[in-house]
Amino acid sequence: MSSMTHSGAQPQVATAPNTDRGGEPVLEVTNLRKYFPVKSSGVVRRTIGQVQAVDGISFQVPKGGSLGLVGESGCGKSTTGRLITRLWDPTSGSMKFEGREIGNLSNRQMLPLRKEIQMIFQDPYSSLNPRHTVGSIVGTPLRVHQVVPDRQRLDRVKELLEVVGLNPEHYNRYPNEFSGGQRQRIGIARALALQPKLLVADEPVSALDVSIQAQVVNLLQDLQREFDIAFLFIAHDLAVVRHFCPDVAVMYLGKIVEITDRETLYLRPHHPYTQALLSAVPDVKQAAIGGRRERIRLEGDVPSPVNPPSGCRFRTRCWMAQDICAKQEPPLLQIGPRHKVACHFAGEHGAMPTSPITLDALGVDQNGDHVSGETKSAEDLNAPGFADTWTDLESHKKSSERLVGDHIADRPQ
Amino acid sequence: MGIGPTETVADHAADTPATAQEIAGRSPTKIALDRLRSDKIAMICLGIVVLFVLIAIFAPLLTRLFGVELRGGVPIEDTKADSFPIIGPPDYGFTWEAPFGLAPTTGDDNLAEWFYGARTSLFVATVATLVSTVIGIIVGLLAGFSRGWLDRVITFFIDVFLSLPFILVALALSPIIVSRFGADAASLERWSMFSLLFVLSALTWMTLARLIRGEVLSLREREFVQAARVIGVPTRSILFRELLPNIIAPIVVSISLGLPTFVTAEAGLAYLGIGVAGIPSWGQTVNRAVDYFSTYPVYLYAPVIGITVLVIALNLLGDAVRDAFDPKTRR
Repeated sequence: MSSMTHSGAQPQVATAPNTDRGGEPVLEVTNLRKYFPVKSSGVVRRTIGQVQAVDGISFQVPKGGSLGLVGESGCGKSTTGRLITRLWDPTSGSMKFEGREIGNLSNRQMLPLRKEIQMIFQDPYSSLNPRHTVGSIVGTPLRVHQVVPDRQRLDRVKELLEVVGLNPEHYNRYPNEFSGGQRQRIGIARALALQPKLLVADEPVSALDVSIQAQVVNLLQDLQREFDIAFLFIAHDLAVVRHFCPDVAVMYLGKIVEITDRETLYLRPHHPYTQALLSAVPDVKQAAIGGRRERIRLEGDVPSPVNPPSGCRFRTRCWMAQDICAKQEPPLLQIGPRHKVACHFAGEHGAMPTSPITLDALGVDQNGDHVSGETKSAEDLNAPGFADTWTDLESHKKSSERLVGDHIADRPQ
Repeated sequence: MGIGPTETVADHAADTPATAQEIAGRSPTKIALDRLRSDKIAMICLGIVVLFVLIAIFAPLLTRLFGVELRGGVPIEDTKADSFPIIGPPDYGFTWEAPFGLAPTTGDDNLAEWFYGARTSLFVATVATLVSTVIGIIVGLLAGFSRGWLDRVITFFIDVFLSLPFILVALALSPIIVSRFGADAASLERWSMFSLLFVLSALTWMTLARLIRGEVLSLREREFVQAARVIGVPTRSILFRELLPNIIAPIVVSISLGLPTFVTAEAGLAYLGIGVAGIPSWGQTVNRAVDYFSTYPVYLYAPVIGITVLVIALNLLGDAVRDAFDPKTRR
């Protein structure tokens, strides 16, 4: 939250009105979608389906802050990162960088913004060109954007190598002469070369072994503090995200299911998927005192994103699932000052409601059928950030109960 | 801490003098060349190839040095009634006047013919290799990087060209080009050379193009290409600065295996009558010498040995280059 105090010192973003709560976002993503076409084989390649890799997600990254994006493999978190860096074009939705829409920019228009948005890649063994020296790799962004005159480029490269903790004299070595952690540092130096405002870190430490992970994460944290860089930190390692990110978004099958600050997420998760995810994390403390935490076992596999389940995408593996989950997609409701969750039965583990809490917001009864005279809530569910006003869980529950009606007795137990 | 500068210096301190300021990195290409340098057979073959190249370059000088003359035969003076030469083999012994003997019927000097034949052979092989390699690289890069309809169109053309039977097309195409453009004697020489080079390169670029397309298809998904795109490196730069250095190995191998193929192909086509007109070539000498093999074998041996030695040397060198560039054959 300390970053909010800096927000006034940015003259070039005057176009972006500083509307909400002072926390100026560097990146705002609204209802972002990416569908990959599935083509039939043969001469005439018709599109026979679509992989819904990212299906309408909204979030924001505060200036100088960091948002963690977690989820299991194939849930669309890396796709999101590649959409923001415009490696891929979004199918629909909006991405605003410092108030400027970047989702529809052409490559040429995007070029000046490349300086501001950089990326750290997952695999340090494939993210560095094996035929280029370290000096050439780190110097490429400087050369392409003409940040420094050609004669000073080498000095700048050496500086950058020093910043990430490498020997600057190693600039004319090749990547194959470095270890994984050192290579990742080279990748970080390359990303830093343009002094970006936003760094998309796509699983930056998951390919490193654990002792090196800590060093690289600490390096990233130091760099963030020093250069005031905002991070979109994509990871599947919950411990790393907890260490690094004040805010965390959990993704499942192309959708954000829960987004909140780290204390709430790790201590009081409200979405069943988040609960299952957290219960799978090994806990040394618990093991030491001999206590065994109840582990939530999810059955089955992640459904195919080509043909995702109707309604709630998690329902096929959720132990709470009821009829409404198949009919109505749960809206991402804000239930706390910095807490949004998308579940009909959101609640802390063990204290989850027995009747849906989203009926009022959706205007349906507990079977997911539309109730005449009821309308969907006017609340903007695709807003990237957190609103000032919200309805807490209790109120949702109360206002939804009136729609449960008589059917509640008929429900099979 | 542990990953600081100290760790990397330590492992290199052993093999570099402590006083050395610059720590030079070894690129994968340099490693491959070092490996090649320690290969004795490769070095011998390289020596032979270099020798042939020198012969080709200095053919005029060499002919003067040996006191022979290209196409200087006067049939009436230099040959007898049975059309065999009046000096040297097959009827007389070795003479320095004509170390390889004279050609029957015409009385031209075989050594001079051989020197200039080497020149034609290497020139045709080099140019055809270069042209087909450049076409192969560009088409392969385009097809691999473009994906979608352009890739499919290019792949279709590669397949079409691959399905053309080499000898048949060469036999059909070459006379057409020559008769269409080579009206007089001067342009005949030029166009017969052009049609030979055209046929050779137009029908051989596909293998390399396919190879490179495959390499690019796998390389383009590597993260360093995406990193370059995130930085904003222009596509052309990505193709030639990022991707091309990574496919040097297959290109070098293709070149080193292409050269001997073209030497043989040139000789083979010349033997079939598709060749350069008016310029000496080993293939043409073979073509002429076959008739005299029973009575005058030396006439045939000279060009055949030339072709054989050159092709074997180039092939062995090509194998060594492939081994040196292939990471799987680390020794």
